[in-house]
Amino acid sequence: MGILIYGLINSLDLILMSIGFALAYGVSRVPNFAHGALFILGGYLTWLFLFRFNIPYLFSALLAVIITALIGAGLYRFIIIRVRGMPISEIIASFGVGLAILEFLRWTGLRGTTYMLPSFFRGGVYIFDIPVDFQRITIVLSGIAILVFIWLFTSYTKTGLALKAIAQNERAGLVLGIDSDRAAMIAVAIGAALAAIAGIIILPLGNIIVETGYEVLIFAIAVSVCGGLGSLKGAVLASFIIGYAQMLTVSYIAPHYHFVVAMLVIVIVLITRPSGLFGKQKELEERV
Amino acid sequence: MSSNDDYMLEVNDLLVYYENAIAINNVSLKCQKARITGVFGANSAGKSTLMHSISGLILDMKEKEMRKGGERITWYGEVKYNGKDIIDVKPSDRAGMGLVLSPERRQVFPESTAMENLKIGSYLATKEQTKKSLEFVFKLFPELVNMKKREAGFLSGGEQQMLAIARALMAQPKLLLLDEPLLGLAPSVESRLAQAIKDIKDETNITIMLSEQYARPVFPVIDYGYVMENGSIVLEGTSEELMNNPDVLGAYFGM
Repeated sequence: MGILIYGLINSLDLILMSIGFALAYGVSRVPNFAHGALFILGGYLTWLFLFRFNIPYLFSALLAVIITALIGAGLYRFIIIRVRGMPISEIIASFGVGLAILEFLRWTGLRGTTYMLPSFFRGGVYIFDIPVDFQRITIVLSGIAILVFIWLFTSYTKTGLALKAIAQNERAGLVLGIDSDRAAMIAVAIGAALAAIAGIIILPLGNIIVETGYEVLIFAIAVSVCGGLGSLKGAVLASFIIGYAQMLTVSYIAPHYHFVVAMLVIVIVLITRPSGLFGKQKELEERV
Repeated sequence: MSSNDDYMLEVNDLLVYYENAIAINNVSLKCQKARITGVFGANSAGKSTLMHSISGLILDMKEKEMRKGGERITWYGEVKYNGKDIIDVKPSDRAGMGLVLSPERRQVFPESTAMENLKIGSYLATKEQTKKSLEFVFKLFPELVNMKKREAGFLSGGEQQMLAIARALMAQPKLLLLDEPLLGLAPSVESRLAQAIKDIKDETNITIMLSEQYARPVFPVIDYGYVMENGSIVLEGTSEELMNNPDVLGAYFGM
């Protein structure tokens, strides 16, 4: 039972960490390798507002999300746009920005145990005699809420539909009046906002440290590759597979393998299904 | 000749180069309001480049090539839409002006349902316009009603083409560009679509410009036509004039 519950928590943890990355790639084909840095930045800014400026928790968080989203938009508007259409350059450019952000934070002194976000609610409950604290329940609930939000956004709003259109066929979108650069910028900004939200929700479980930024990026890539790049459905399924696989190894083999599992899953998926679980690139060939 | 006001689109002395190769050589043509204008020619005659120049996609192509350091695309001349030169206007802004392209090879959004394709098409339209256009396209293509929930990638070629035209209509075009709308379709579907194109003109007054490799199925519905060869226009005339020209008959009708 413990594995079931904590596996679920771990899975939603992964969803939260990776959904922003998967969304930005899924709708605009921008591989945002600054994702992990934005995750940490979101948490750090919240901490900054909360403890240095004494702004209430909720507003600090909101402010941090907005600022991170703007940084994401700027990242696209001023940097990625110059190398758009060349995936390797996009990866290098965005990873460079991520490195710059993380190492700048390290330089300003982001290390050790000083930087810690408080839990939203203290305490916890027992679910089938398994103790679960409220922060982890928040992770599960907000993970589900974000998935619902993304689904509603991409199927019912004009902007969401436009993003989906550009992801599938940029030129066809352009001639229908959708500005693809604007759409991609919005996608990266939303991805950045989701990274910040994830950071704010997940980081109270530990310290805000720079290394977590790199880990989050690796998990996000693991989940996206395993699910099939660009597929949100795939990312969700992959989160559950990797989430439970990790929980099983942690309980039955050894805790320090939990990182290896993510990599192992990538290798297995790439050997058996090279385009990922839901990778559609090759399945829907054009019909003539 | 009638005054310029009757022309929705005027292309004057257009030249387009891909690096040093000339794709469009001094092309001038006009599209009369509320009429169907056809451009015919074999592969590589320059039809698609012409369509891209009019829809604006060529700007996007140029930018992409520039970022990659690839081919240099250059152009000279005018593309006048309602009397205004639009050669430097972005494709998404041209769509906002009512210049909408239904691209070659359909290019439907394969992972979206047919209905979602139409909704995406109405990105620039108001709610009322969307409702009216939906009614119109379902009347025009009743086949689409049962396909609403199907993923567009799994539709047949003819259905995809209907969807592509319907999607373009959702964007509230004033000038509808159809790039090879009959490409790769069965003869019965070809005549069905040609009739639909005529219906669009008759019922909505939308000006239509279409390009096609084989003239035969669309000839009965066009009002004026141009024949392109190697990037230049070699012949033009009303549908009867072209029909009675032995060169055209031989080259484009297989007679």
